[in-house]
Parts: sequence; C-alpha cells; structure tokens
Amino acid sequence: MCCVIQFSCYIGTPEFNVQYMLISGMVSSLDSMEEDNGAGHALSDFLLQLENYNPSIPDSVVAYYLNTSGFESQDPRLIRLIALASQKFLSDIANDALQHCKMRTSSQIAQSSKNQKGPKEKKYVMTMEDLVPALQEYGITAKKPHYFV
Amino acid sequence: MAESVEKVESNSDARRRILNIAVSTVLLETGFEAADKMSLETLTEILQCFLTEVGNAARGYCELSGRVEPVLSDIVMALINMGINFHNIEQYAARPNRHVIQPPQQAPSPRTPAMLSAGSKAKLAPHIPFHLPPLPDPHAYIRTPTHKQPVTEYEAIREKAATQKRDIERALTKFLAKTSETHNLFNTEDNQVFPLIACKPTFPAYLPCLLPTDQVFDFDELEYHFQVANRTEDMPTDKKDQSDNEGENGGDNDNANNSQSENQDIPTALSPERSKAGG
Repeated sequence: MCCVIQFSCYIGTPEFNVQYMLISGMVSSLDSMEEDNGAGHALSDFLLQLENYNPSIPDSVVAYYLNTSGFESQDPRLIRLIALASQKFLSDIANDALQHCKMRTSSQIAQSSKNQKGPKEKKYVMTMEDLVPALQEYGITAKKPHYFV
Repeated sequence: MAESVEKVESNSDARRRILNIAVSTVLLETGFEAADKMSLETLTEILQCFLTEVGNAARGYCELSGRVEPVLSDIVMALINMGINFHNIEQYAARPNRHVIQPPQQAPSPRTPAMLSAGSKAKLAPHIPFHLPPLPDPHAYIRTPTHKQPVTEYEAIREKAATQKRDIERALTKFLAKTSETHNLFNTEDNQVFPLIACKPTFPAYLPCLLPTDQVFDFDELEYHFQVANRTEDMPTDKKDQSDNEGENGGDNDNANNSQSENQDIPTALSPERSKAGG
C-alpha cells in the first residue's frame, strides 16, 4: 500500500486517531482479504482498465470542478475514477429512492383493486418525498421550503 | 462589467447543465421515467459538491505528503474520508446499460478584430522567451523619419525660389488671359494662340495727378486697401449703390495694378505707374 503518510505533527489529534484507525483497518483488510489484493491494488488494476472507459460525465466538466478546488491532474484516469465514484454514489442514492418509491406505489396498488396498468408498466417519478429519506440514510439533510415567496 | 459577469455565469451554466444531464442519465439507468425539478436540482447540487469535496480532500492529502501532483492513493484517502464505498466500483463500471454524454463543444473565443493595426508585428528576438506576448505594432516603438532632411544649400534654395516665381507668373498670366478681356496681336477676330491681357486705361487719365493724396509708406498696403475697401459682394444692395462709383474707379485701378504687377512683358501705360510713385 503506497499511502503510508507521515503525520509527524498530526499525532495526537482526534483526526489522526480516526485516520489511523482507517489506515490500520485497511491494512488489516489487506491481510484478511487476500483474494481482493487490497483495495489499493484492486483500484490500481482498475485504473489501467479506465484508459478506454468513458464515464457518463465528460472529462472536461469533471476536471473543471476539480480545478476549482485546486485538484489538477494530467492523468485522465484519475479524473475518470472520480467521475465514476460520483456516478456510483448518485446511483446508490437513486436506487434507495426507487426502493422508497416502489414501496409507496406498491402499497397504493395493493389498496386500489381497479388498476388498469400492470405494476411492471408503472412509471416511476422521482420526487422529493422519495429523495429526502434516501438522502437521510447517507447523512445528507435536504429540507424542502414550506412555501415559495 | 455586467457582460463579463453574464459570460462567466453562462460558462458555469453550461457545465451545470452537463451535470444536470449526467444526473438525468443516472436516474434513467436506475429506472426512473421522470423526476421532480427540485429533486433533480438537489442531486445536481450534491454531485457538484461531491466533486469539489473530493478534489479538495485529495489535494490536501497530496500536499500533506509533500507532493504537488495527486496520486491514486490521495483519491482513495479522500473517498475513505468522506465515507464513500468504492469496493464494487468495478462491477458498477461494467454495468450493461451505459449512456455516455458528449463532451461540451469548445465555443470559439471571440477574437477582438485586428482593427487599427498598421504593418506587421516584428518577430521576437531570440533572447526573448516565446511564451511572452508578441511585440506591438512597429509604428508604436520604431522611429521612422517622415520626410527627408530639407536642403539648406544656398544655391539650391535660390534656384528653387526662382523656379517657383517663374511658374507662378506664368500660371497667373495664363489664367488672366483666359478669363479677362484680351487684346489681339493679329487682325483676326478670334484669338486663341497669343492672347494678351487687355490694358484698361482709366478715364480721365490725368485725374490721379491732379487729386492730392496722403504720403504712401507701403504700396502693398495701399493696394490691399483698395482691394478690400471696394468689395461689394458681401454688402447689402443699398450700400452697394452708394459705393458704385467708387467701385468702378477702384475696379479700374485694381485691374490696372494687377495687370502691371503680373505682366511685365507688355508695355504698360505709364500714367498709373507714375501716379503710384508720385502719390
């Protein structure tokens, strides 16, 4: 694992303890999950696959937003990795919201007997009602304004 | 100021719209047919904040370890720090229904038209690095003399003055011969070959000798006075009638004086000359 970082003045702070636990957790996971070859190795292998892969978000847009926070990289694979990670993050949230939506509509279908549309043809619309609880699980609190001025 | 602000906002709007499209793509892949405007905007905002946060954290880790260029492990640490699970990212990458968004077209930057440019800009000297801006127009810093040094030789100047004087005389005589009354040398009616400027004698010829005048100090000024004092073009009509008599005499005097000063070949009437000298 290449991320052995020297925290010389960092030792003792609570953030250091958290990081230390994370790193040691990763190291222990290295020992335990031999078949995965560790997360770092897996990702470094994955990075080679990313050369021909194009995520949904264009490289230039992602690079722009990374540049606004000072992250400049000449390697497009790193940018694609970040784009892919963000995409996966969003899809996880969307999947959770879909679950909420399905739960709500399935309960409605069960209640209403006269339903012409089959459940498979049901169109799902993402609304704030589904999104807010999904985000809540990830620790993101989105509040809807009660009224519009 | 407002225009530049608008342009910046439109640039970020274009990228924001791309993020919107990306979020919509993800929702489509998940199985949603439509989305609420507010939820779409919320997810776009989340995506933008995610990218910024990962960039910030990764840069922090990179600089913390004394590097300038980020490496994979910096991104890994940043993702771990945010609590993002990336273990099955490979499976996500290999999902079947993938939509790829076209990267935004590079809008051509409006080049300021090269107006007011005179001449071609000189190339940079070899000791100047090429990445510096180009040199300005050559007329801005190179001194080019606009005229030759005037000739100050006495002989050349005398010759020039003499040539100029002769040309002026010739031109004026030709002009007067064409416009004013002419005498004929030959006994033909129509004379175009050798026109002579007619000499108009004043009547009576002895009058200037008899009339007393003040002493004349400057003959040029006298001539000028006659020319200006008897002008009737700009005066109203009633005053014109009053000065009619003076105008006739003055006009005769003018013609006589003009013909004398410019045409010295023709033997002029001597009486007006004498009146000038005696007056």
